[in-house]
Amino acid sequence: MIEFVQAVLLGLLIGGVYALMSSGLTLIFGVLGIVNVAQGAFLVLAAMLTWWLWHSTGIDPLLAALLLTPVMFGFGWLLYRTAIVRVRGMPASMSVLLTFGLALTIEGILNVTAGNRFRSATPSYFDESFRVGALNLPKPQVFGFLAATAVLAALYLILTRTWTGRAIRACAQNPSGAALVGVAATGTAALAFALGTATTGVGGSIMSVLYPFFPASHYDWISRLLGIIVLGGMGSMPGALVGSLVLGLAETLTATYGSLQWSTLVFYAVIVVVLLVRPQGLFGARLREDALP
Amino acid sequence: MTDPTPPAPAGRPALAPRWVPGRLRGPVGNRHALAGVVFVALALFPAIRPHDTYRQTVLLLAFLLAIEASSWNIISGYAGYISLGHGAFLGLGAYTAGIVATRLDVHPLLIAPLGGVVAVVAAVLLGLVVLRSRGHAFVIITIALLFATQVLVVNLRSLTGGSDGITLPLPSWPAEFQNIPFYYLFLGLLGLTVLLSGWIRRTRFGTGLLAIRDDEGKAAAIGVHTTRYKVLAYACSAFFIGVAGSVYAYFLTFLNPLGAFSILTSVTIVLAVLVGGRGSLYGPVLGAFVVQIGSEQATVYGGSSQSRVLIFGIALVAVVLFLPAGAVPTAAAWWHRRHPATVEYIDQAGALARGQLARPDRTTPTGTDPAVDPAVDPAVDPEAAPARAAGQPRLVVRDRAPQAEPQRRALLEISGLTKAFGGLVAVDGADLTVRRGTVTGLIGPNGSGKTTLFNLVGGALRADAGEIRFDGRRIDRLRPWQRGHLGIGRTFQLTRLFKSMTVLENVVAPLPDARWRALLSGAVSGPEAARARDLLDFVGLGRFAGQPAGSLSYGQQKLVELAQALMLDPRLVLLDEPAGGVNPSLVARLVEIVRDLNAQGVTFLVVEHNIPMVLELCDPVVVFARGRVIAEGRPELIRRDPAVLDAYLGEDWRPPAEPADPEPAEPKGVR
Repeated sequence: MIEFVQAVLLGLLIGGVYALMSSGLTLIFGVLGIVNVAQGAFLVLAAMLTWWLWHSTGIDPLLAALLLTPVMFGFGWLLYRTAIVRVRGMPASMSVLLTFGLALTIEGILNVTAGNRFRSATPSYFDESFRVGALNLPKPQVFGFLAATAVLAALYLILTRTWTGRAIRACAQNPSGAALVGVAATGTAALAFALGTATTGVGGSIMSVLYPFFPASHYDWISRLLGIIVLGGMGSMPGALVGSLVLGLAETLTATYGSLQWSTLVFYAVIVVVLLVRPQGLFGARLREDALP
Repeated sequence: MTDPTPPAPAGRPALAPRWVPGRLRGPVGNRHALAGVVFVALALFPAIRPHDTYRQTVLLLAFLLAIEASSWNIISGYAGYISLGHGAFLGLGAYTAGIVATRLDVHPLLIAPLGGVVAVVAAVLLGLVVLRSRGHAFVIITIALLFATQVLVVNLRSLTGGSDGITLPLPSWPAEFQNIPFYYLFLGLLGLTVLLSGWIRRTRFGTGLLAIRDDEGKAAAIGVHTTRYKVLAYACSAFFIGVAGSVYAYFLTFLNPLGAFSILTSVTIVLAVLVGGRGSLYGPVLGAFVVQIGSEQATVYGGSSQSRVLIFGIALVAVVLFLPAGAVPTAAAWWHRRHPATVEYIDQAGALARGQLARPDRTTPTGTDPAVDPAVDPAVDPEAAPARAAGQPRLVVRDRAPQAEPQRRALLEISGLTKAFGGLVAVDGADLTVRRGTVTGLIGPNGSGKTTLFNLVGGALRADAGEIRFDGRRIDRLRPWQRGHLGIGRTFQLTRLFKSMTVLENVVAPLPDARWRALLSGAVSGPEAARARDLLDFVGLGRFAGQPAGSLSYGQQKLVELAQALMLDPRLVLLDEPAGGVNPSLVARLVEIVRDLNAQGVTFLVVEHNIPMVLELCDPVVVFARGRVIAEGRPELIRRDPAVLDAYLGEDWRPPAEPADPEPAEPKGVR
């Protein structure tokens, strides 16, 4: 029983981190209609920068996120303005190919500059745990979960309480309508992409502590994140949250009661089942066809 | 490349330009011949340079990539569904050969077809899961496929040897042959792949795939069984990769999971097709040669293979941003700009010249000819008869319904139909009956739910409640293409032609039934194409068969869309604002065509805001407001109905001259 509670708690902690990591992906899809295949590479890039900061200055990896978030925001904004904006209005497949190319480029740069080996940031607490009764909660997981929750809350507030956030949501629902009421579409899209990229600042720094990574890890990560948002319904924020928790739980339960090596397959199995039973995901909506752009 | 065929002389007789299938003017005109020459040259190469093993190996790897690229092009180029994990099929084929060859001691090359079969089975299973729905999930599942297979192969140690891999026997031929047998195997497979790809493009299957790429919802509305098309395309795109994978395993003689399911394989495929030109026949082959040879050079001169990912990434970004169409299509477009085809301007008279395009009736392939339908009740449409003047080209409507049945029976019955979008109830318990042989008008204020009603009947949307019966059969749970096959055709408020196809291909694309044979019939020649030409002649646009659909005027596009719907041999045609944005003379044409078809037994349901046209053409007229029918009756009665006036002009508006008729004649007011 303790084992089960332990697994569930751990699953929820992991799910919270997944939720943060997938929030950027689903935000970008919701607003821009782009499946950003490079999101995993952004995460790995941020993780690598975190590792480097931690390694060279000794700064706590999770605190490094404070530095990295604006950096990733600027990086996303720049990428949007220079590259992504050029494929807007083209068929969706072009944006998939472009972001795929960006992912490869980032992987290649990391390969060449940092080398193809596993890394992991190991702050003093990385192998410590909180003990609550018989339960054993690893500190990095707890800190990561708290950081992720804080960022998600901030993201929620930005999207619901600020003019910019409302503009972003307006563009997600009806770009031409938003343009008519004075929302500058390109600027807002750039902001949304930058915001979605900025989430990888924190996501990557959590990753650097929790998961050993190397340049090609991003394929694994993008597969997981895409699985989450397919499950939740693409473009839906609550969907990404629920999908993350479900998959985090599924993963830890498989690892606890099955075997670790099969736990990654759980993601793919879930995706397949969801697509069979409910292709639009848990929270996805089918829209009026004639109202689509 | 020099130009073997000069552009047609300017003073060509103004005949209808026959669209010559698969042939463009200019250097690209002889591309098949050129491809043949290159193929023969490549086939002769080992004979000329038998000891140049290095070049032979570079070339055979280029053939392999070209096989992969041409195959990928079928699902991702034609149908527009990007697969980022296509290398998985190569790995599956390779592992099939490796496992079977080592376990059963069979020659690996004999297993090669089985490798293709395994790849196809994987593609079909996966396709059935993911391709039932539209959109982005596919790209995701293809990446997942690659990594999931890799995980499986690593973990199923007893079958695959896990990370240790599989060692295959060495080639069974004498050592002095070196790789030459592989060279010919891959070259032969490449030839077959290109033939398959080219053949698909020339069938209605291929047209359907392009239709899906351009506008999937529209494709479904014209009877294209989109799921079947996509799954089939995915399977076709897997087969030769699987076969080649088996051969490749024998070539490598060693397999391990990381190599066999490397994402880099998929990356090179994508890059090759993009460089050459997505959706074109030879582009992927050309791109494969460029990428393979380029990557070979990069490895030789560019240092470590570490930097290959970086080079591929930058190349992919650069191609998407600066050469999105790919080399071959871009070159072709450039050539056509330099040598424009003689444009035949479309004058008003020409566009209206249906009568002058008289030609002998062509009997339909099925041989039935119910063109003149004596059973039409003249009372239903008294003006129909004069339209059938002698000498006019008549549309040959293929027989689907027994014509003897009474004309006034209901064809389409809608009862209690409801559809809500969030809080907005667009269609609210609507009851509507369209009787056989009528041209029923459907009018109502903007936002009253008319288009939603059409989408519900056509199947683009699924109703929340209520039922729809067509010819007595319940259809509200059927997929859009099934409704098309039953005989419901529709046009759209804003035309939705497939812009990347010619006018003729647009009209050939619809499939009137679900037979496989229809799927594989020719799109550019043969009986179906001939019928499409007849229909284009019927709407007066036969001369524009070879033009890109996007080059027509808006009104002409509406007529092409009507011809497209007619290709389904519909018994009921839903016209959504046929006169919207169309000039008056074309409106007159449209009215004439609708009458003509109606006289031959086709029933129409017309949504229209052009009230004079509705009153002239339609009987009865149904008035829709707030998602339900508020009045129905003969047009002259509808014009005076107070409920209708309320709906259009506001609740408190009253005719200034006389108070509203207290007894609305006949219409069944439902408020």
